[in-house]
Amino acid sequence: MDQTIVLLIAVANSVALLVLISLGLAVIFGMMRVINFAHGEFIMLGGYATVLAANHGVNLWIAMLLIAPVTVGLIGFVVERLIIRPLYGQIVTTMLATWGLSIFLIGAVTTIFGNTMLGVSAPLGNVPIGVYSVSVYQLLLIAITAVLVAACLYVLNRTRWGLIARGTVQNPAMASAIGIDPVRVYAMTFMAGAALSGLAGGLLAPLSGVIPQMGTAYIADAFVTVISGGSAMIIGTLSAAGLLGPTQAILSYATTPVIGEAALLLLAIGLLRVLPRGISGLWQGGR
Amino acid sequence: MKLSRRRFVGSAAAAAAVAMTMARSTFAIASDTVAVGSLHDLTGSLDAFGLPSHMCMKFAIEELNATGGLLGKRIDLKTYDGQSDIKKFPQYAQQAALNDKVVMLQGAITGASREATRPVLRRYKVPFVYGTIYEGGLCETNAISVNTGSDQQAVPLLEWSFKNLGKKCFYIGADYNAPRNIGIWNNAIAKKEGGEMVGEEYYPLDVTDFSTAISKIQAAKPDFLHSCLVGGPHMSFYRQWAAAGMLKKIPIVSVVFGGGQEHMILTPEESDGVIAAYNYFQELDTPENKEFIKRFEASVGTDHPYINGIAIGGYNGPMLWAEAVKKAGSFNRDDVMAALADNIEWTGPGGKMILDGKTHSTQQDVRIIQVKNRVWSLVETRPQIPPYDFNGRCNLKDNPKNVDILNPQV
Repeated sequence: MDQTIVLLIAVANSVALLVLISLGLAVIFGMMRVINFAHGEFIMLGGYATVLAANHGVNLWIAMLLIAPVTVGLIGFVVERLIIRPLYGQIVTTMLATWGLSIFLIGAVTTIFGNTMLGVSAPLGNVPIGVYSVSVYQLLLIAITAVLVAACLYVLNRTRWGLIARGTVQNPAMASAIGIDPVRVYAMTFMAGAALSGLAGGLLAPLSGVIPQMGTAYIADAFVTVISGGSAMIIGTLSAAGLLGPTQAILSYATTPVIGEAALLLLAIGLLRVLPRGISGLWQGGR
Repeated sequence: MKLSRRRFVGSAAAAAAVAMTMARSTFAIASDTVAVGSLHDLTGSLDAFGLPSHMCMKFAIEELNATGGLLGKRIDLKTYDGQSDIKKFPQYAQQAALNDKVVMLQGAITGASREATRPVLRRYKVPFVYGTIYEGGLCETNAISVNTGSDQQAVPLLEWSFKNLGKKCFYIGADYNAPRNIGIWNNAIAKKEGGEMVGEEYYPLDVTDFSTAISKIQAAKPDFLHSCLVGGPHMSFYRQWAAAGMLKKIPIVSVVFGGGQEHMILTPEESDGVIAAYNYFQELDTPENKEFIKRFEASVGTDHPYINGIAIGGYNGPMLWAEAVKKAGSFNRDDVMAALADNIEWTGPGGKMILDGKTHSTQQDVRIIQVKNRVWSLVETRPQIPPYDFNGRCNLKDNPKNVDILNPQV
């Protein structure tokens, strides 16, 4: 019984992690069709913002939940203005440009802070579950991810801002004709995506620590999740994570971690072979 | 620019003059100095290993020069930055051997960079000094290993653990050669000590989520956890282990923890109590080490990276090589290696070391140490652990042509 609960938590945790690291990418890719190769580095910057702030005496929660997303959101604003905006519509060029940005950010952070940095430890202690014990912070992370997903869905589907954003993405010319400035909407969307990535980095920092190359550990999983999710960015990402996460966690638990990792990739390949439009292709028909 | 005849004559004369001065100065260098190469990762993701080792090597050369150099020659240290990039290693090894004419090269810490560097130095007959802890198995006439093979750390540490911590061991390692080799030793020692392996897991180097690993370990209920997790992403394990409240429940022993300065990067709440085994640690309380640290800090200042069991190889390597050179009375590769035949003995900051002529590996003290609040303290010294000879398969006296890396058969 205890074992089942602990395993369920591990599964929920791996789903939450996939969603958390993918949300920012999902917003930027899903809304703007911009393939942001610097996504992992946005997560990394969020981690650095948190750790730096916490090491300078800022309350850890403020550092994670506020400073990380705001900092990376602002960086996203600058990046959008300087790199993304001149290249809208050129998918391959944007891809190369953001790849360059990713290398630049890793180099810049290494130059400023070096390859290693003191970390912060996870707050809140642990709870016993029978003979097991589980980190409370990890449970909270699952909860925060759930809240984030709900918030994203609410903003996109129920607010005026979400309506404008979705409308602009679907038909920029029409949006422009009724007095909405698409350029501004794109800029805000990119910023929001960057802020989400920064928040993910901030939340992950106590569990994974920060190093300049940490983004590379997340970028592949994030892309696999978002692409398998398909065009319905939030629900698609959620359902992809809901399929890939448990597969990886349960197989890692039952066999070896290598098989777990490989299974995640195999499943994603299989999924895309059967559903080339991703999981959301299932209910979105021919759109 | 149009090249007039006058200008051409002028610049040709200048070039000739420069060439002549260069030739003269090269000649001067060749007469009273001798070059030695340091090839470590000074930048890039592996600089946490490369920089302290290089720093120690530089200090060793300084000390050798302060006492008159070697065979009456001043040692000129040539520094090459491997940049955490495998491609750079054979290139720089070649440059060191052919262009800079080094008589010894030390470095190439990772197994991959070592394997890229070793054949180049062999081809040009430049002795290769390997300064780091590693999985073991280097057995080549042109190379000497001055640090410990994994068995020299793992065997004493595991013997101690099975005696003092309990019989049930869970082993978790990074998924590559060295941790898997240590896994072989772990199983052998468990059997010998009447212990039991309740789990053995290998994680790819980029894994950062260890929640399933932690629940697996909790389910297996070991008396102690043996960790050979390596590198930045794997440091997450210790964070998540501590966050789950396990650090105080199940002790961790490791032959790599601290090698990448884990004890400095993690917080004390994430690392207190971890037990490791190395030939050396900076806090070692012996007169030799106190003296060494004093001299070292007089040279580089007190704000230096922590000198761990990997970094100290940077100091021990040139010193042991220098003993061999003195014995040989020559810098020639064959003479130096022949001088190794009847074992080289030298006492360094970590105590007595004997470079064994048969294996070109080093017998030395190994210390079981425990960290608290980022400071290591001694638990037990295991004196003079000899290098493993692979059941007689590593014998460079009888088989000087061996260059293969040997795997343990235990």
